[in-house]
Amino acid sequence: MAASEVRIREGFRLGLAHLGYAAIAFVFLLPLWWAVVSSLRPNASVFADVFPFTAKALTPSPASLEAYEGIVQAGFGSIILNTLLVAALTTIAGLILNAAAGFAFAIFDFRGKRIILSLVILSFMLPFEAIALPLYNVMRQLGWLDSIAALVVPGATNGLVVFLFYQFFRQIPRDYVEAARLDGVSWPNIMLRIYIPLSLPTCVSAALLLFVFQWEAFLWPLLAMPSQDFKVIQVGMAAFQQQYGTIWNQLFAVAVVTALIPIALLLPLQRYYVHGLAGAGIKG
Amino acid sequence: MIRQSSQGLLVALLAPALLGLLVFRLYPIAIAVISSFYTTVHGGTVFAGLGNYESLISDHVFWRSLRVTLWFNLLVNPIQIAISLGLALLYVRKFPGASVYRIFFLIPIGVSVPVAAIVWRIMLSQGGLVNGLLDLVGVAPQPWLTSSSLALYSVIAIATWKGASYWMIFIVGGLQNISPELYDAARVDGVRPWQRLLFITLPLLRPALLFVLAADVSINFLLFAPIYMLTQGGPAGSTDVLMYEAYKQGFIFGDMGRAMAMVVVIVAILLIVVGLQFRLLSAREQEA
Repeated sequence: MAASEVRIREGFRLGLAHLGYAAIAFVFLLPLWWAVVSSLRPNASVFADVFPFTAKALTPSPASLEAYEGIVQAGFGSIILNTLLVAALTTIAGLILNAAAGFAFAIFDFRGKRIILSLVILSFMLPFEAIALPLYNVMRQLGWLDSIAALVVPGATNGLVVFLFYQFFRQIPRDYVEAARLDGVSWPNIMLRIYIPLSLPTCVSAALLLFVFQWEAFLWPLLAMPSQDFKVIQVGMAAFQQQYGTIWNQLFAVAVVTALIPIALLLPLQRYYVHGLAGAGIKG
Repeated sequence: MIRQSSQGLLVALLAPALLGLLVFRLYPIAIAVISSFYTTVHGGTVFAGLGNYESLISDHVFWRSLRVTLWFNLLVNPIQIAISLGLALLYVRKFPGASVYRIFFLIPIGVSVPVAAIVWRIMLSQGGLVNGLLDLVGVAPQPWLTSSSLALYSVIAIATWKGASYWMIFIVGGLQNISPELYDAARVDGVRPWQRLLFITLPLLRPALLFVLAADVSINFLLFAPIYMLTQGGPAGSTDVLMYEAYKQGFIFGDMGRAMAMVVVIVAILLIVVGLQFRLLSAREQEA
């Protein structure tokens, strides 16, 4: 009898836990859910069942794809391609640059290493917003304004990613390297044959960080592309809001598409993203 | 340690990343300080000494911005960290079905600040979803973003919705670093759950929490995108944080020197605040 009582109490606690977690999940999901539903309605009926509220407000009825047709006509297809291009270039360049630096910090000893390494880590702590305005002046001096390089190059070097690679490479036993060196294997071969294959999970974490950072960038692309010929998604979306603030269903459609791409990457790879950030927080 | 042959390799490996950080992170800070001593007259730049700073001190709009920024930070940082800590404690708990919820906890990470701003602006509009749901429990519709007494708090709520999961991840990292044996030992000794949280978990989380505090304060001191997209600093300057005011001075009014002076002031205050946090919170650790 005591055993069944315990089981009932445990079952009750489990039910309570599910209820609490579901409530939090609801708060996180609700805005996105409503955005998806409303983007699938014709503009005139976006607010139809919201006030006074009926449960119908959370279903796409009447359903229509007019919003998505609208945003394609408004040029969001090419804006998305622009952003994918910038984010992909940043990710590739960032992986190479930061992995190389992380490797150097992990393998070699040199004078001033500790100070340089802590400066690299600190550079990540200072948000991009702090330097965005003066960076505009730097780019004007370089003549890079309105060029893709102005978006890609500053985003590629990332102190956090250097640190991620440094931390991982440091854990690989030195015996591997020393044995390989004795066998006459060259440094580039050691890197490509031993270190890179072992570090694939770290590469995934780093790539996600770089990609999401660039996909979500807003202030810097707003400043760096003054002519607005080449728009990236966040800036394009903000401009669309200012110009067509009452085409609700299209605003929602843009927001949904903009959120969907990083979420589609993060959901299957969440383990790597969490690992990348969590690892940085412990030692940082 | 390094042999001659590998010295060239070392430079080749380090130079690109370090050069990038130097030119695009460090150099802009120098530029900001230097440009803050210049002013624009008829399209040309003229040395103005401390002129930009002096005019800031006598400008009530600047002081209002500073007040808004400090008040905003005083509220948003403790709220975000408390909620992130709570989420992290829930995130690491294991029970049948828990993994499904973890995915939902991570949703706001994929939602950029501008997306969150667009969706929440419509949700918080007069006939929007929030007012619709509140109406169900008999609360009258509120002008969430269009009243000067509510707008800043609505921005805090939106920023917290967007930010909490991100900071949660860092705290989860700290939690996963705590040895489960400690908890087992505590259970054997009959330690209650709240004692476990207060005397085991929180002290061991201090490094992670300190990092999150510093990083979160930095982000929130320099908050820009939600203000740009939701309120443009209004109504009546109630959400006019320093970073937005600096952007306005530089890129709308074209007074770059003044904008740079403001950025220098923001970053200087930020460095002092973060420095104090490390001082105060690490010092306590030595006493223990």
